[in-house]
Amino acid sequence: MDSSVHLDNVMMQFDNFVAVQKTDLKIESGEFFSFLGPSGCGKTTILNMISGFLDPTEGTVRIGGEDMRRVSANKRPTSMIFQNLALFPLMTVAENIEFGLEVRGIKKAERRKVSDRLLNLVALPECRDKRISDLSGGQKQRIAIARALAVEPRVLLLDEPLSALDLKLRQHMRTELKEIQRKTGITFIYITHDQGEALTMSDRVGVMSAGKLQQVADPVTLYRAPATPFAASFVGENNRIAGKVIAMDGKRTTLDCGVLGQLSGTSVHDLSVGESALLFIRPELLNRRTEMTENCFTAKIQELNFEGAYLMMEATPINTQSTIRAQLLSDVNIGDLATGNQVIFGFDAQDAIIMSGKSDV
Amino acid sequence: MSSQNILKWGIRFYITLFFLYLFTPLIIMSAATFNDSRFPTISPWRGTTLKWFEELWNDSGMWQALSNSAIIAAGVLAIAVPIGVACALFLSTYRGGGKNFIYGLMLSPLLTPGVIIGISTLIFWRSMGVSGGIFLTIIAQTTFIAAYVMLMILARMQRFDRTLENAAFSLGATHLQVFRRITLPYLMPAILSAGVIAFLQSFENYNTTLFVKGYDTTLTVYIASKVRTGLTPAVNALGLILIVITVLLAAIYEIKRRHEARAAEQKAALADTAN
Amino acid sequence: MFKQLSDRFGPMVAIGILLLMLLWLVMLVVLPQVLMIDYSLRPNLPPSQIGGPNDNYTLSNYVTLFNNQIHQTIFFKTIWSSVLVTVCTLIVCYPLAYYLAKVATPRQAALCVLLLIIPFWINEILRTFSWFIILSYRGPLNALLLGMGFIDRPIRFLSGDGGVIIGMVYAYILFMVFPLYNAIESLDGNQIKAARNLGSGWIRTHYRIIIPHAKPGIATGCIMVFMLSAGSYAVPALLGSPGSRWFTQIIYNWFFEGGDWNQGAAYAFILLLLCIGFIVLVMRLFKVGLGDIAR
Repeated sequence: MDSSVHLDNVMMQFDNFVAVQKTDLKIESGEFFSFLGPSGCGKTTILNMISGFLDPTEGTVRIGGEDMRRVSANKRPTSMIFQNLALFPLMTVAENIEFGLEVRGIKKAERRKVSDRLLNLVALPECRDKRISDLSGGQKQRIAIARALAVEPRVLLLDEPLSALDLKLRQHMRTELKEIQRKTGITFIYITHDQGEALTMSDRVGVMSAGKLQQVADPVTLYRAPATPFAASFVGENNRIAGKVIAMDGKRTTLDCGVLGQLSGTSVHDLSVGESALLFIRPELLNRRTEMTENCFTAKIQELNFEGAYLMMEATPINTQSTIRAQLLSDVNIGDLATGNQVIFGFDAQDAIIMSGKSDV
Repeated sequence: MSSQNILKWGIRFYITLFFLYLFTPLIIMSAATFNDSRFPTISPWRGTTLKWFEELWNDSGMWQALSNSAIIAAGVLAIAVPIGVACALFLSTYRGGGKNFIYGLMLSPLLTPGVIIGISTLIFWRSMGVSGGIFLTIIAQTTFIAAYVMLMILARMQRFDRTLENAAFSLGATHLQVFRRITLPYLMPAILSAGVIAFLQSFENYNTTLFVKGYDTTLTVYIASKVRTGLTPAVNALGLILIVITVLLAAIYEIKRRHEARAAEQKAALADTAN
Repeated sequence: MFKQLSDRFGPMVAIGILLLMLLWLVMLVVLPQVLMIDYSLRPNLPPSQIGGPNDNYTLSNYVTLFNNQIHQTIFFKTIWSSVLVTVCTLIVCYPLAYYLAKVATPRQAALCVLLLIIPFWINEILRTFSWFIILSYRGPLNALLLGMGFIDRPIRFLSGDGGVIIGMVYAYILFMVFPLYNAIESLDGNQIKAARNLGSGWIRTHYRIIIPHAKPGIATGCIMVFMLSAGSYAVPALLGSPGSRWFTQIIYNWFFEGGDWNQGAAYAFILLLLCIGFIVLVMRLFKVGLGDIAR
């Protein structure tokens, strides 16, 4: 069955505020797709348009190729897991799971079969007749998943469902969600502001900011080759250095970064000489050098945190106010590092990414 | 003795006095029921009797008034509760211009003296050819009792999590199913207590009823008229019975409410430890 | 308006909600008041002349009050006595509300609230009637005072306004206690401790910290008690004497003894204006809004 989701030039506007700018996207059948972005970026609005709680101002949503414009939320082949789970407190666990079938007029015996199967799927068969208030956080989470799956949706929408859980449970549920998605083959559309969740579970991630879809890519590409300054700084940690383009050689671009001197990296799109640009280099790709050569600058160490395998370092490049974070492998040549010392950092030009943009973006 | 202690004992003394003040009149009135005196009093005590209960039992006027009061209270319940629920649902849903005005309008019957509600109802309905009686009493009482119901339902509605409705809707329920299976069951406890309050409010109303009762008599009107003409301790007997019933009702209501509150607390505590 | 309701509850329930609401607000709340005002502005005519040439708008029904010395006296006495009742109730209730909210242990407070609720559930007429018994000429109060030798002969408590005021304070006490209690309870106990710690005496602490915080509660209590007192028919009818009539009793007489409904409507409207005036005054004085009052 086709359970792809198309957003055809979808746009959402509330009064004068554009919550989601014109977006064109195809989510494949059976894909685990995440929308990642800070709160207020429009990701929940997108979810609400897919589920039918909101009608897009412009454009259409299609599910399995069908235009959803005149289909209300209760008639769509989607089901949703809410941020606060929204389990019905006055019903038992089984009644919760069977609710979607009950309102469709399905007979008691049929419903019972479905709820038994799902309780087994989420490994909670003993909770069948419990009240919602008697469940633990993780159990509630699983029941919410079972309830959403009971109606056999083609698309499951998840609105930050793990945010209420503690760290350990959250990490465990990631694996479990991925597992359930694999078993059922349903399209999962997942909303989160937590990049860890997005990167570990998703087949593809859409990074959003200020109502705009910045980049859609698989997790590895997203991390290795961010396409916009927002994606570069929001996904993972990144150092950002502003400068002006002074030379280009194919993709290799050199910037004049003021007191930091000339630094080179790989540009992700066409640039012209004289343009303002940003260079991004990840903390783990910064190296310590013994002497000033190409692509190097000097910085004064502000803080050192030893984390076992790694040493996290915060440093201020000489004659600047900015902060650089570096992650060094804790091998033998870190013994002499101390707060207040000066260090030379360097990096390979192919590890750094350059794109147009000003420092205040 | 420190000033702190004086204050403490002072306030205790005050509280004792206050509750004496609150209960002595009711106790004296109840006690007078059993006094074998033609006039309801406890001084002097002319011997203990139960004959006033018998007299009350044989008073056909009292039975008529009681049945009228019951019919009126049932009528008010049937109209005021749906209105109150509807208004609470409206207020918890509608966002936009004029909301404060509508809310103020809904509260206005609570800030209007009861006699005025009675008078305006009487004038309005007589202009349409309806004169005072049981029907008009139901209408007049509903005018302000609906506002009480509205406030009680609204208080519960404000703690309602609307994502529950969205969840049910996204699981395929129709609007009507969402309303009947999710919203209404949640409101049920408040609807029941509002019903009890509405019933009692109707039963004990005097100021409004007086103007719209026509030739019908409610129990409260009956008591008042007995006090002014033909007062015997039979009125006390009636009062005592009403007090016993209300105290019982209040106790049941209160115990039930506390029981629920405690159960909710325990559940919350349990859920906390389970997490 | 309809769309918001319909989006949430579906068209059927939405129609039901709006119908019930409109039915109540239009037929029960607004139109009767409008018609009452209309009535008050028309002369009292025999049925045959209604709608005829003499049926003009006039203020004559309001002028009556200005020309009738007795009615005016009763009107102002009603205001004055209702204010007195309100103030007495406030004074009696404030210490109790404070005790319940801040001094008593939760168990004590719960018990007290239950004890307070019980009389609250009992009929206003019965509460008043119990004072009728106590205050009557040969009643227990006189018997007690005689027995203790304070007086030589019984006092006629029920002949003046005193009985009415005592009865009203008793009848409406709980409309004051609960708003006060709710308001004081919401005050953070640490604020009181902080004020005490900064060297504030008890009176100053109440005056500067607790009372300002409890303002919405005080306003609500005062409005309710004043409105109930000024609009009460039951208490003056039971505890008053022919010499101590209440304004509501005059209104009643216009309707059911004088047979002049137009005149009665005008007096009723004056009473309503009085109550609205008092509400506005209190809200201004205490700087609270309607939202604070209805809780």
